[in-house]
Amino acid sequence: MNPTLLTRRQSLQTLSSGFGYLAFSALSTMAAEKAANPLAPRQPHFTPRAKRVIFLSMQGGPSHVDTFDHKPLLTRDAGKPAPRGNAGLLGSPFEFKAHGESGLMMSSLFPHLAAHADDLCLINSMNTDLPNHPQATTQMHTGNFQFVRPSLGAWTLYGLGTENDSLPGFITLAPPNGAQNYGSAFLPAVYQGTPVGREVRNRFARGGDQSPVSNLANPKLSPELQRVQLDFVNGLNRAKLAQDQHHPEVEGVIESFELAFRMQDEVPRVLDLAGEPESVKKLYGIDGEATGAFARQCLSARRLAEAGVRFIQINHGNWDHHRNLKDGLEQNCAEIDQPIAGLIADLKQRDLLKDTLIVWAGEFGRTPHGQSSNGRDHNNKGYSIWMAGGGVKGGMRYGSTDDYGYQAVEDRMHIHDWHATMLHLMGLDHERLTYRYAGRDFRLTDVHGTVAKGLLA
Amino acid sequence: MDLKRLFLPCSLLSLLAGPAAAQQMAATAMASAEPSAEPSAEGIEFFEKKIRPALVKHCYECHSTEGGKVKGGLLLDTREGSLVGGDSGPAVVPHQPQESLLLTAIHYEDGDLEMPPKYRLDDAVIADFEAWIAMGAPDPREKATTGKTPQLYTNTIDLEKGREHWAYQTPQKPAVPAVADPAWGRNAIDAYVAEGHAKAGVTPAPDADPRSLLRRLSFDLTGLPPAPEEVERFVSAYAENADSALGETVARLLASEHYGERWGRHWLDVARYAESSGKEVNATYPYAWRYRDYVIDAFNADKPFDRFLVEQIAGDLLPAESEAQRAEQLVATGFLALGTKSLNEQNSRQFRFDLVDEQIDTMSQAFLATTAACARCHDHKFDPIPMSDYYALAGIFLSSETLYGTPNGQQSRRATDLIDLPAAAKALPSLSLGEILDLEYQRDVLNETAEDLQAKAAEARRKGDDDAQRFVGRILFTRTQLGVVEGKLLEYTKEGSPRRLAMGMRESGEPFDSQILIRGEEENATEERVPRGFLQVVKTGDEKPIPADESGRLQLAEWMASPENPLTARVLANRVWLWLFGEGLVPTVDNFGTTGEKPSHPELLDYLAVRLVELDWSVKDLIREITASRTYRMAATFDAADYEKDPENRSLWRARPRRLDAESLRDATLAVSGGLEAGRPEGSVVAKAGVGFIGRTIPEATFDVEMPHRSIYLPIVRGAVPESLALFDFSDPSLTAGKREITTVPSQALYLMNSPFLVKAAEDFAKQLYGDRGLRGADLAREAFYRAFSRPPTEAEGAETKAFIEQFLAAAKAEGMPEDEARLLALTSFCQSLLASAEFRYLN
Repeated sequence: MNPTLLTRRQSLQTLSSGFGYLAFSALSTMAAEKAANPLAPRQPHFTPRAKRVIFLSMQGGPSHVDTFDHKPLLTRDAGKPAPRGNAGLLGSPFEFKAHGESGLMMSSLFPHLAAHADDLCLINSMNTDLPNHPQATTQMHTGNFQFVRPSLGAWTLYGLGTENDSLPGFITLAPPNGAQNYGSAFLPAVYQGTPVGREVRNRFARGGDQSPVSNLANPKLSPELQRVQLDFVNGLNRAKLAQDQHHPEVEGVIESFELAFRMQDEVPRVLDLAGEPESVKKLYGIDGEATGAFARQCLSARRLAEAGVRFIQINHGNWDHHRNLKDGLEQNCAEIDQPIAGLIADLKQRDLLKDTLIVWAGEFGRTPHGQSSNGRDHNNKGYSIWMAGGGVKGGMRYGSTDDYGYQAVEDRMHIHDWHATMLHLMGLDHERLTYRYAGRDFRLTDVHGTVAKGLLA
Repeated sequence: MDLKRLFLPCSLLSLLAGPAAAQQMAATAMASAEPSAEPSAEGIEFFEKKIRPALVKHCYECHSTEGGKVKGGLLLDTREGSLVGGDSGPAVVPHQPQESLLLTAIHYEDGDLEMPPKYRLDDAVIADFEAWIAMGAPDPREKATTGKTPQLYTNTIDLEKGREHWAYQTPQKPAVPAVADPAWGRNAIDAYVAEGHAKAGVTPAPDADPRSLLRRLSFDLTGLPPAPEEVERFVSAYAENADSALGETVARLLASEHYGERWGRHWLDVARYAESSGKEVNATYPYAWRYRDYVIDAFNADKPFDRFLVEQIAGDLLPAESEAQRAEQLVATGFLALGTKSLNEQNSRQFRFDLVDEQIDTMSQAFLATTAACARCHDHKFDPIPMSDYYALAGIFLSSETLYGTPNGQQSRRATDLIDLPAAAKALPSLSLGEILDLEYQRDVLNETAEDLQAKAAEARRKGDDDAQRFVGRILFTRTQLGVVEGKLLEYTKEGSPRRLAMGMRESGEPFDSQILIRGEEENATEERVPRGFLQVVKTGDEKPIPADESGRLQLAEWMASPENPLTARVLANRVWLWLFGEGLVPTVDNFGTTGEKPSHPELLDYLAVRLVELDWSVKDLIREITASRTYRMAATFDAADYEKDPENRSLWRARPRRLDAESLRDATLAVSGGLEAGRPEGSVVAKAGVGFIGRTIPEATFDVEMPHRSIYLPIVRGAVPESLALFDFSDPSLTAGKREITTVPSQALYLMNSPFLVKAAEDFAKQLYGDRGLRGADLAREAFYRAFSRPPTEAEGAETKAFIEQFLAAAKAEGMPEDEARLLALTSFCQSLLASAEFRYLN
């Protein structure tokens, strides 16, 4: 074995037992039972169905009535005055058809994904508290739109640890603005998501070949010399921590340096897509004009999942179709359809789908009535998401909205219920996954949340 | 009975009534919309005899198309309208008297829902309505003859009630509270803070040691660390007389040009300053830097904030005593022109409304911490801002012209002219006549090429050639190039003298009031126009009417800058507090509305707001007063018991340990390593790149540059912010962001370990100490620690440094590195370690 690796490991051990957490344990607000390494894999509360999550986050509020919530009465009554608002009902410009043996109804926007209909668990009864982007996005990620709370990925990492100590346990690919959505709030900083790659806002921009992570190698120092340097930096930081007594951010700094050091070897290996066979690249649509960017993210997600990363988030924007609904949806879906279908197929052929939970969700849906001539407004009372793999029933439709899709009426699934269900799939009881802060035990689901047993496989 | 309260928007009602009620309400709305069986003849007769006359007599005035009003969104002149109901839900649910809001209203049982508003109907009439609904509400009336859904707007906001919210109350200078330990306080601020300590049951931390205090002051006021000799001087002066040492240091730092570079940058976050249009097209703003420089100069000159505000909104409308002043005031209005823009928008009206929306959003958050733009499509859901207020503001900006430049080209179709500044302003270097001729030649060639391609494409299409499409890309490409060349030519006179250009505002010539757009849709305008005006919830008493021939920007600015405006001074005082303490008294610094957080110390916030006005809006004076307090002087000392009670430190029991922001980290790195160039660079990297499209005619990498100047002068291009800033939580410059987020992620560690910037800084640092200063051993370590941490190394640190160098040399030797090279590398590595350490970037 490489001797430097041994040194690293030893040094990690000294590092993680020798400081900080001692100070932590002196405080009654901090859980006293700190593992030696806060990121080491941990036993969940019960046998998990999903070992990892790939969260496909769609920013802007994708229209449910044009994608995954089939509303024949909306089509029939198109143009009639809507029961809410004072605009007319807007029928979907897309045709819905039954797919797979399950006969799951999906719109024509997802021809590739439709081939996996029997793996999808559509949740048609989602609802969230507010129809505003910032609040709803924050609530989707943290359960709470008012206060700064840890994100879903941070809770997951806190509950389960991670399998690869040379990569962050929670990675978000090209996230949009808003660090709170991958933040750890009062949880230790080590559970924070690590953003990789920048959001590509400019559709015309070229140059996607750069590594999504920069500064992975030192131009002057060998790894051995850098290790010597890092030990010295750690010494300085530990001294500061001892001086300050309690400083979670500095603890986070120390941990992030150790992780960064190990990432230098691991990241280039894991995120280098060049070695993937052509057939796999094709499956995801890596060379496609529309699909390329998202395909790279999906393939990277698979590689990260394989490498043992616990929570991977992929981000896609521009779903806020107040206008230009038809073209906008066509373009967006053309960008994501094949890559997502490729991801499902690829995970399946590697036998990873069974314990990987894939989730596709936006922060809310859109109104059945129109806005402008070809658009829809925000709708938080009823919308759709889907999950696949990791212990959910495939080919199923869970819950429903009313006849037009205004609001969830059957098996209503609030954000808290959805969070509880996801944690459940990962073997975590949302009522027992707590963190003591400011004299209170906090949960992702606050005092709410019911596991949707009906969709468990 | 207040009419307006009746018609709460659905969502608000659901918040009040709880989700179950809202759910049921909507479910019944759905049910009632379903068609029902044909009414019986008897039923129709009952309706015609009893119900229709009552509706006409008592209800139509406010709830019919003919009456011209649709209050609460409710129409009772059609069967459909009654069933569908208004904003509160369905008025009539057949067979369900209990569910029918109409009955609730006419029964006068619910204080919030009483109709008709002025009198209660006779019992007999009420009984008729009950009977009618019980029999299934037979109703022969057809849909309204217009065939179009009515699109009238009604106000649902209760302003009087809204004014009760704390932020709309005029700040009063509260009595300074008596405190248990008068010796602790140094000025009034401390009395309020001490009162908070008593309430929270916490004990204030002791005073910070003078080194930490000087470091804190230097970074807070200038964004730079103190030089080692300043530290020594301050420590001995502080020992002699703490107050005067502190006061003199504050005065010195406030007088430094670096103060404006630090505090100006804070304001640029609020002003969402950037040098490109962002969004889909992302064209450069080569003149945005003028606004940046204006802001820095304004802070350095301590321009009174009310004046600063008025100049940014209406500087073009103010009298000027000199050309230079005139130029300055014009540049100030760049504030309104710098926002993101969808230059590819095809609909010019839509573009205009979006532009105005961005201005309202930024302005209201920046100065009033109010999210007025939420009222574009409907009344504000949480704050007392009716939709009509939004369009009152919109009229002001629609009556103004926003000049921001940008070239036309592929997907970019919204170019405007720019403002010509008086000759007092700085200008670009001239072009020679040859250069101008060359640009004109390029323009002509591109024009010809485009026309030629167009002709070929037309020809191909005529022939039915499938290849016609392939010309399109080339045509667009050529047009884009053409747009850029034309844009460049616009910047010069025919002789090659540069025009002195700026982004900003001017009056449009023919002011008009805006229509209300239903659901914010530009094609869905009401007939009704809202007179230009301000937010009604805030009455200052000194509002000036907007003359018919003016946009109203000046009056708007004066209304905001009025000492009677309860928001403006409070919002600024809170920002100043944030900039000095790392957290606002109101943590949601851009949102003082009902969804924002409440102040931790309301009286203190009021006191500061009143003081600010008393100090003639001088930010420097307010800083002087705050930094003279004991509160500012507290150490960051940890205390387990106090932490237990108040982990967020909202009661200010200690100084908040803070990480340096991205700019301070970069600037301090340059300062410590001796590479910082203090002056202001001419213009900006974006100005040099000129007009163009980022990622198309200008590569993104153009803007990831290193320069020795302070970070405020780095190019800020939307979507391509330099890594040194972006990695350390620089705010997205697309939106007002009064407060930065803090993340601690390994990509930051990688930057500190490996980036060319840090590696070079460490080399410079080591060379200075070892080469230029000729320092060795413990002397070198001492100087390095002093520079980086404002303190000498402890004994243990001295020993560890020595051990590190030896270990490093041994390892380098094992790799076969020559001794001299190894020694310099070891020192460099040592210097980098200090720069990468937590102590370097955390202030206590």
